[in-house]
Amino acid sequence: MNVLECRDLHVWFDLPDGGQVHPVNGVSFSLAPSERYGLVGESGCGKSTTILALLGLLPPTATVAGSVSIAGTEILAGGEETVRGHRWRDIAMVFQGAMNALNPVKTVGWQIAEPMRAHGIARRAKARERARELLELVGIPAAAADRYPHEFSGGMRQRLSIAMALACEPKVLLADEPTTALDVMVQAQILELLTRLTDELGMALVLVTHDLPLVSQFCHRAAVMYAGKMVEEGPADQLSWESRHPYTRLLFSATPDLYGDEPVVSIPGAPPRLDTAIVGCPFRPRCDVPMDRCAAELPLLTTAGPGHRAACFRTESVVTA
Amino acid sequence: MTEALLEVDDLSIHYPIRRGVGGALTRRPRSVVHAVDGISFRLGRGEMVAVVGESGCGKSTTAAAICGLIAPTGGTVRLEGNAITGLSERRLRTVRRRVQMIYQDPYESLDPLCRVRDILAEPMLIHGIGGSKAERSALAAEALERSGLSPAEAFLDRYPHELSGGQRQRVAIAAALVLDPDVLLADEPVSMLDVSVRAGVLSLLDTLRKDQDTAILMITHDLSTAAHFADRIVVMYLGRIVEQGPAREVVHHPRHPYTKALLSAVPRRDREQQAKPQLLAGETPNPVDIPPGCRFRSRCPVGTDDCERTDPPLVTAGDHETACLFV
Repeated sequence: MNVLECRDLHVWFDLPDGGQVHPVNGVSFSLAPSERYGLVGESGCGKSTTILALLGLLPPTATVAGSVSIAGTEILAGGEETVRGHRWRDIAMVFQGAMNALNPVKTVGWQIAEPMRAHGIARRAKARERARELLELVGIPAAAADRYPHEFSGGMRQRLSIAMALACEPKVLLADEPTTALDVMVQAQILELLTRLTDELGMALVLVTHDLPLVSQFCHRAAVMYAGKMVEEGPADQLSWESRHPYTRLLFSATPDLYGDEPVVSIPGAPPRLDTAIVGCPFRPRCDVPMDRCAAELPLLTTAGPGHRAACFRTESVVTA
Repeated sequence: MTEALLEVDDLSIHYPIRRGVGGALTRRPRSVVHAVDGISFRLGRGEMVAVVGESGCGKSTTAAAICGLIAPTGGTVRLEGNAITGLSERRLRTVRRRVQMIYQDPYESLDPLCRVRDILAEPMLIHGIGGSKAERSALAAEALERSGLSPAEAFLDRYPHELSGGQRQRVAIAAALVLDPDVLLADEPVSMLDVSVRAGVLSLLDTLRKDQDTAILMITHDLSTAAHFADRIVVMYLGRIVEQGPAREVVHHPRHPYTKALLSAVPRRDREQQAKPQLLAGETPNPVDIPPGCRFRSRCPVGTDDCERTDPPLVTAGDHETACLFV
């Protein structure tokens, strides 16, 4: 059974002038246990809003529609009352800025134990003991439980926030650019840790990033988002070598590869504004292979191969041909 | 080899740490941060050199010293053979016209209250370039066009908040170009930008060096970018250069164990080609207490006892230099 099912998720904000901004527009995906799933795209395409919506962490001004269930239990339908019991217990998150995610005036052991106390999983000595185990699990000596966040380096702090996220043994871990602020060597260490944790604990992971090679290397499957919609989803290696959406292909050609000799080319233009309705394919103005049809009709996600979907009319013609 | 335009010779930058009252009373010796410790490299006209290494290895400090923002503790920086370190503020100003810096974050480096026109006029006013307002506007427009913001008229009267990240970084580059510099120091010029526009800004820098012979020193932690755009790569670790050479050489045939480990940790598009990341244990030592012998010793996968005794010098083979006893 899928550990996470997200069906037709929408997020919109009502503007004071009566308009709407629609940053997430019908996103669906599911995760199997131990699966590592990448969510990629440019800034402002809805990746972070999507995962904040999964946790029920968007501000009250946001309206969220759709269904999110964890191991078969719907978590969003009842609003904050329902999601609170699941947040951090079933679905937890690692944030980009580890320093901002940690409380500077509490010891790290206290902070790791806090969600266990909040959810009534463990108290006092037992919670403290478990916090020490979690530190060891992420590669920090248990004795460090009595230290404060400022005594740790950036990479160590990111390990601490991973330990904090693991406190209640969540089934799903969301990670928003967890290594972007880190050096390449520290990034590799954190990725090795996340690989081990997902493999051993059966936890599924959603990795939000703009780093495509990272997704190719680390994730089993990935989705590319554009203008609040998923434009392609499939096995990570197929996205990199057999992409079916021009946006995915262009994102890869904008990214230098260590030994690659191909020229690196940027994508002209910028993602569209999300406060006005888009007619046709949202990527059409930047696409290098647009067709007449794309101006009037919105391409929907269609099957492009086993476990592979893309929202492009060219894919449709390939598949039906 | 190209004639050296900029020569960095045995540059050191040490910062004393404040002792505090307790330390002063007990006469505890002042401790010193060895941010940069005796590095030398050359930058020729039209050449792009990438300085890579982890946070705290001294790469940004080196750039700040080259453009005179930090006074070095030792060593010299020469521009066309003339020392530009230890100059008076007045003489430094003429140097700064020729050596311009581009910062990492174009959201921070541009004054939000100034129009693009004023952002570009300011360096010209400081350096007395352009006799009249009209002349400065013309120069500003030309610099914008050269930076890929075309037509310039559409950008001159905009404020930074009306521009995208990539456009802002192009304005920052244009603000350097109005002075017609010989050397550009670009400190992580694309790391704050979206993947889709990075390539454009990097290609712009590439064009500047090829068409106008501008020398570019690019500081980056992204080895793929360095491999793709730079002629030479300088790898720094803990205030020292551990390896430097032609970019292709360094990337395809790394010699220093640190460079090898860094390269193995770079995520690759092709999973099959991805080497098993050679994870280094622990973290970079504190630059206050630098261990004796080789600085990389505490994390080195191949080090021996010899490395604890000997601080390996940079040894040249061809035009590839490495500081390791086992190379």
